[in-house]
Amino acid sequence: MKEERFDIVIIGGGHNGTTTAAYLAKCGLSVCVLEERPECGGCQETVEPMAGVKIQPHAIANYGGSAPGWEQLELWKYGFRMDWNPNKEIPFPVERNFLTSEGMSPMTQKDVEGYMKITCMDVSDDAFKDLMRATFWCPPHPVGTELDENNIPYMQVYKEHHPEMWTRELMEMTMFDLMDEYLDTEPMKVNAAWIAAVSGAHGHMEGVAIPALCSVATVGPPAVAKPVAARGNIHGQFHALFRCAVAHGAVFRTCCPVEEIIIDDGRAIGVRLRDDAVRPAKKIWANKAVISATHIKPTYLDLVGPQHLDTGFMQRIKDLSLKGGSLYMTHFLTKEELRFKPQYRANLPKDIEDYYGSFISPFFPMDSRDIYFENVKVLFGEQQNMTYPPERAIYGMVTGQLYDETNPQCTRPGMHINGPLWMIMPTPQYNKDGEDAMCKDEFDRKKWDEYMRQSVACVAENLDDDNLIRIFSDSPLDQQMRNTGVLGGSWYGIRCDRDQWWNERPLPEMARYRSPIEGLYNAHQSSAHPGGLCLMAVGYNLMHILIEDGIAEPGDWWYPSKWYIPEEGKISAIPK
Amino acid sequence: MAKKELVGKKHPQAFFPEFPPESEWDVVVIGAGPNGLITAAYLAKAGLKVALVERRYEIGGGLATEEILWPGYYSNIHAIYHMMVEYMPVLQDFDLERHGLVWIKPNQQTAMLYSDGTSLSLCRMIDDTMDSIHKVSQRDAIQFGRVMRTWRRIVDEIVAPATYIPPMPPIDITMAMQKTEIGEAMLELTEHSPLEIINNTFENEKLRALLLYASCMWGLDPQETGVGFFVPLLLVRGMNKCYCQGGSHKLGNSLAREFVQAGGTILDASQVNEIIMEGGKAKGVELWEGRTLHADAVVSTLDPHTTFLDLVGGDKLPGDLKGSIEGWTYDKWSFNTLHVATNEAPNYASDHQWVNETFMNIIGFDNTDQVLKHWENVVSGKLDLNNIGGHCTTETFWDSHLARKPGHVAFFQMHAPYNIDGGWQASGEEVKEAMLATWQKAAPNMTKENIIISEMESPEDIEIRMPNMRFGSIKHGDYKPVQLGCFRPNQECSSTNTPIEGLYVGGASVYPGGLILGGPGYLAANKVVEDLGGKKWWSPTKDMEKYVKTYLE
Repeated sequence: MKEERFDIVIIGGGHNGTTTAAYLAKCGLSVCVLEERPECGGCQETVEPMAGVKIQPHAIANYGGSAPGWEQLELWKYGFRMDWNPNKEIPFPVERNFLTSEGMSPMTQKDVEGYMKITCMDVSDDAFKDLMRATFWCPPHPVGTELDENNIPYMQVYKEHHPEMWTRELMEMTMFDLMDEYLDTEPMKVNAAWIAAVSGAHGHMEGVAIPALCSVATVGPPAVAKPVAARGNIHGQFHALFRCAVAHGAVFRTCCPVEEIIIDDGRAIGVRLRDDAVRPAKKIWANKAVISATHIKPTYLDLVGPQHLDTGFMQRIKDLSLKGGSLYMTHFLTKEELRFKPQYRANLPKDIEDYYGSFISPFFPMDSRDIYFENVKVLFGEQQNMTYPPERAIYGMVTGQLYDETNPQCTRPGMHINGPLWMIMPTPQYNKDGEDAMCKDEFDRKKWDEYMRQSVACVAENLDDDNLIRIFSDSPLDQQMRNTGVLGGSWYGIRCDRDQWWNERPLPEMARYRSPIEGLYNAHQSSAHPGGLCLMAVGYNLMHILIEDGIAEPGDWWYPSKWYIPEEGKISAIPK
Repeated sequence: MAKKELVGKKHPQAFFPEFPPESEWDVVVIGAGPNGLITAAYLAKAGLKVALVERRYEIGGGLATEEILWPGYYSNIHAIYHMMVEYMPVLQDFDLERHGLVWIKPNQQTAMLYSDGTSLSLCRMIDDTMDSIHKVSQRDAIQFGRVMRTWRRIVDEIVAPATYIPPMPPIDITMAMQKTEIGEAMLELTEHSPLEIINNTFENEKLRALLLYASCMWGLDPQETGVGFFVPLLLVRGMNKCYCQGGSHKLGNSLAREFVQAGGTILDASQVNEIIMEGGKAKGVELWEGRTLHADAVVSTLDPHTTFLDLVGGDKLPGDLKGSIEGWTYDKWSFNTLHVATNEAPNYASDHQWVNETFMNIIGFDNTDQVLKHWENVVSGKLDLNNIGGHCTTETFWDSHLARKPGHVAFFQMHAPYNIDGGWQASGEEVKEAMLATWQKAAPNMTKENIIISEMESPEDIEIRMPNMRFGSIKHGDYKPVQLGCFRPNQECSSTNTPIEGLYVGGASVYPGGLILGGPGYLAANKVVEDLGGKKWWSPTKDMEKYVKTYLE
């Protein structure tokens, strides 16, 4: 059998595997990334299923504006450009209107001031950036560290900038609690809580108020002028990251599914590829580390396997919760641009309407948290397909109009693409009616596509049969079939509740990215803090640990997180 | 001239630096199709500072493997049959295998399936082909073997290596070819039309239909004289096609990685609006998004209209270049392709058990008249839905990675007019039904129950996806004598430099043409490196050296 050898073998060429590869290749290590699909990118994908029609099946927006990766990896050198003209100002005010069943609900002065305060935007852009970095771009503290308001990173930002918010209670709150204290209108709170829900930490979860808040704030000003991704969409953003890794010598192998992590005497020493992998060498050895950037469940349950792990550990891996991140994605191809019903036509400032158009990205219905909790009850409590009507299913939607005219989403004459719309669905694995309860046949697909259409038709006056040409959708199960890294179609791997967040993610003993197998590290959104959102955070955080373990030796370009605590007896990631 | 270093620039409303609005380059290459990627990779490795600009969100051009059978199934939507793998200098000069490039060359290359249930096969191994022809004609089988002895040498010794050497005027070619017996044989063929060559050489009607289709399917006019040497080229190389495992896009990706590792920068999702002209010289490009790239040289791999009339501007063209560009004609036909994801792979009803494994199965035709009639219809903008045919491939036969499991992907492709009577919008559904019926006749299990998803890519779709395949022209322009050799795209530009200083051309509309030959891009790289300096780190392949020594010295 032919064999190959690298310093580092990474399983999975999605966002986190590729970020990790870029960092490690930049350290001068030989890196091989193994990707199962014909194309790298994972959830950072853009597809043109019909000539001239681009869709976003997964990730959409650039959440990572505050990432150290921009400076450290110098992505501009590899062609990174946002979807906007570099020479022109982008109209994107903090003030917004929220869509309820009754019509528009504008933000009040208290909403604006409260939001700016809790995100530290009122202090300075740097304070905001610090809050984001403290939340996402810092590895969890060493296992066993007693956590309190004096060492939890985001608490240090409040301590410095808003000492009155620096209370133990802040660490225990739900995001709703926080918003009830500082914000005014219910629709704004429901909107933020729901965006947090699709981003990892839900608005009603105990003890994750700030992570939930930051997962909303990170995708808006001042980090990024409007919530879209790169030129070329989210896959364009991936391209810069990927090309950075390639330029530093990382080797990417597509159509190379991994079947086994080879373990010798308790140490991960390489991987074995499936027989149909497009390589003559089916064993790839790792001199220094094997890094799993695919889902934690198959990593330990299948690739490592029970022969190397105890049953108690296996059970805890099985129990990690996939709930909450399973989204049904829908794009609507229409003849005319969609138009809001009269009650949703906000009096948009002229510059906004000129720049974007009039149908900008609805989130609906934001009436009150009753609707939010009705969704929670059915999807997470009863664990079944939606039993409420489409007008009570919360969704968010990006419209083609949000993109720059020089980055057109539809170049098919006489047609417009609207989407994605994303809606939380029951996670297939937990659906009481079975994994395929949502998509047993073509009839089911049509039924749920129609459900999505009716949801949008609550706010759009012209999404009717005459206007609608075609719907492109993918259910959570479709997403899992297309991309085995998104088990359950979950957008953040496992949810970011307090038992699966930061020093508990994915399990307390693995929070520093190390695993029970020496030489095997975790770098997937499901297995690593801070989870999903394509933040370039897992790779950055993992760097601290690989420096500690003597694997990575970065150059002058490296700087660690301000709040990082070195592990005793290891090499510190803080440069001398 | 030393170029300013690339420094990231922050948009005032964001935290992170981006690619700057103004930048300086030695060379800007327009279009990241196979030729653009090749030019860019050679030049970056030669030490030049190169930017490669692509309008689509993904590089590769016709090297496109995409999930059009949504969701979950990938198809090769353009190039799939790689005919020049053994000859392309780029595959010898770069080690693409390290990026995981694996070529598969099945023995069972092309078959024609007739309505009476019989079939004929063209195999990589000549004697397997002869065995198949023996079923219908002993004379033709023996004749095939004899003819192929000469035709293979014409290809190996002349046509294939000449593909990567700048074009020569016909008179010079004639003089050069007179130096050897094989050269004379090639000249003799050139004077005849494909139809004459095939009909004069073979007697069996089924075989004639197969060979005519195989030699003219890429756009030769069966009745046109002066292009006869293409018959041995397309038949011999058509019997040596390779499949790129993981899909053709993998070739594009591998080239892109070589380019990036050599220090090149790719800007995708960027449309060039203008080639900047200063003092009659090309000095860079302006992008629609509001960025300017200044450069000493610009290489365009786009079609002639886009390069010269749209990006440079007709009023800025010297002499009679404008007239010559305006006279350019596009492919006489395009392709209409039905891609399907199926539960079972197509199972062809045929007298031969190898047929299911064939790389390219030609269906729908029994004789040359039917083939010719279909092509005549297409050229005049029509389709007779009772007489259509084309070629089919089951990609998952070699490439399980393209399909969600369990499942298969396959396609049925036929020649079709861009300007169809009534338009594609109106006739699409009817054409799709007719294609399915034709396919089902050949492979009875291609029923609606077996098909999970189907998607038709019409000539209009080709143009929407790749606007410089104008009118669905996969080769950027017709293969006819006045647009071939040193006339492609015209005498002034066929050696990749143009009458405009600093502007080079290197796409499929330039000698030697399209079909993933890797020729124009290679030749443009040679020319630019000669003109700009830079380290020419590569040398001609052994085949090219031998050809030059025998015929050109």
